[in-house]
Amino acid sequence: MSTLEFEIRSGGTIRIELDKCRSCETKACVKICNTTGMGQILELKDGVPALKPTLEEVKRGACTEDLACELDCELYGNKALVVSLPLPELDEYLEGLSEKPTYAREA
Amino acid sequence: MARLLEYRGKALFRRKGIPVPDGRAVQSAEEALSVADELGFPVAVKAQVHAGGRGKAGAILFAEDRDSLTQAVRELLAKRIHGAPVRELLIEKKADIEQELYVAVTADPSMRQPVAIFSAKGGVEVEQTADEEASAVFTMPIDIMRGFYYYDALNLLRRDWQLDSRRMFAVANLYTNLYRVYREYDCKLAEINPLALTADGPVAVDARVDIDDDALARQTTLDLEVAEEAGERAATALEVAAGTIDENDHRGSIHFVQIDPDGSYAQAEGKVPIGFDCVGAGTSLTTMDELVPLGYYPINFCDSSGNPVGSKLYRITKVIMSQPQIEGYVFVSCVSSQQLDNTARGIIKAFKELYPSTGGQPNIPCVLVFRGAWDDVAIDLFKQHGISAGRWVRVLGRDTAEIEAAEVFDALYKEWKSETGGF
Repeated sequence: MSTLEFEIRSGGTIRIELDKCRSCETKACVKICNTTGMGQILELKDGVPALKPTLEEVKRGACTEDLACELDCELYGNKALVVSLPLPELDEYLEGLSEKPTYAREA
Repeated sequence: MARLLEYRGKALFRRKGIPVPDGRAVQSAEEALSVADELGFPVAVKAQVHAGGRGKAGAILFAEDRDSLTQAVRELLAKRIHGAPVRELLIEKKADIEQELYVAVTADPSMRQPVAIFSAKGGVEVEQTADEEASAVFTMPIDIMRGFYYYDALNLLRRDWQLDSRRMFAVANLYTNLYRVYREYDCKLAEINPLALTADGPVAVDARVDIDDDALARQTTLDLEVAEEAGERAATALEVAAGTIDENDHRGSIHFVQIDPDGSYAQAEGKVPIGFDCVGAGTSLTTMDELVPLGYYPINFCDSSGNPVGSKLYRITKVIMSQPQIEGYVFVSCVSSQQLDNTARGIIKAFKELYPSTGGQPNIPCVLVFRGAWDDVAIDLFKQHGISAGRWVRVLGRDTAEIEAAEVFDALYKEWKSETGGF
């Protein structure tokens, strides 16, 4: 499976499964990135998303991390793009909790 | 502001040649006994918490033998000092004190320069001395470009004629070393209270070192966690988690503090604990002012402004929603140029991840008010993703005042409570 994966400024990654993109009719991620994203880092190359800047430039902040690519891909595309934004300190906190947060409970 | 525990502050003092009592940090009676066997009795047993006023709070005990040491350690480790649990103790050789002084170097924002503060009446009552006997406290502004020299310290110390002139030289030397600590570690405050005068010379019996938050990035040797200033207590785990959000990315900022970390204040006041986020600290305070009289208590403060990237909103929303006590969530933006569609996307991604079975529709009452740039897009995004259609969500626009946001939340909470019974 071919993928495009790159690191972003805040400490996370964006992973795009390009095989899914080939059959995507909307290319919603590229469209929204060039509409909303001030960084405008995605373009179409050979029918799939590709980066305009270098990986290093993206990591240094060319990607504005507006998350529009992921949300629009989910709604209008082929659910091929995932933005991973780890927060290990929060995971540690949650592991040590004796009471579950309300989002994990039934009201 | 990052405040060092006493034993860590003393380690910095030692590096700069300031005498401190021999001692070590411990976490159990067994460790304490082992340290005391090395040092010899009597020893001081000191709770290591960030709160000040430990002497008066019973956080410092003395032990003459192994039995009294074991008892003191057990007593202190079971204690909370100003709400903070005691996890570490400092076991030190008890100093034979003849006189207690107060010496400090701190930042004076009104003068925009450091100031040295000295009093020959140091000890636990120093605040009272400052209030009631201002003439016993002496200050000297320091020109940061010039520095603070031995003779500057002498000039300051000489202003109190009660100080023995033979001891003045050693104290002046120590004072210049304290200034070196202040400068080299980017302190807001480097304080010794008391500075004990003993037969062997001056000894820093206590240490308070507060590091400027904005300098933490270059104070890498201190290995400090970055979190918002939260008064006398140490940062909570959630505050530390939130503190990492801005660590690598300065596009916008997140300021998160748990006002009531365990929800106990809200409970004692009979208020409903809620999670809270605002764009703009002023909006945050005015919205709180509207929520509290209606019976709701935001157990955290959060200001996510300066046009943060969506990923920051995603992370902080997860932090806020992870407070187990909350029975609601309120987000209000001030009218600003912040690109609110990015803000909305961060919250939407977080909601979708936290509530996967409902596609992001939360199970607690949530009111979100978007006012400002791209607010219409923000509101539309909640509709597109089906979150606005949730039973317990209200997404409001720029015609909503803070009081209306609070009233909408109040009505929604009552409906939710009556229908679900709450948690």
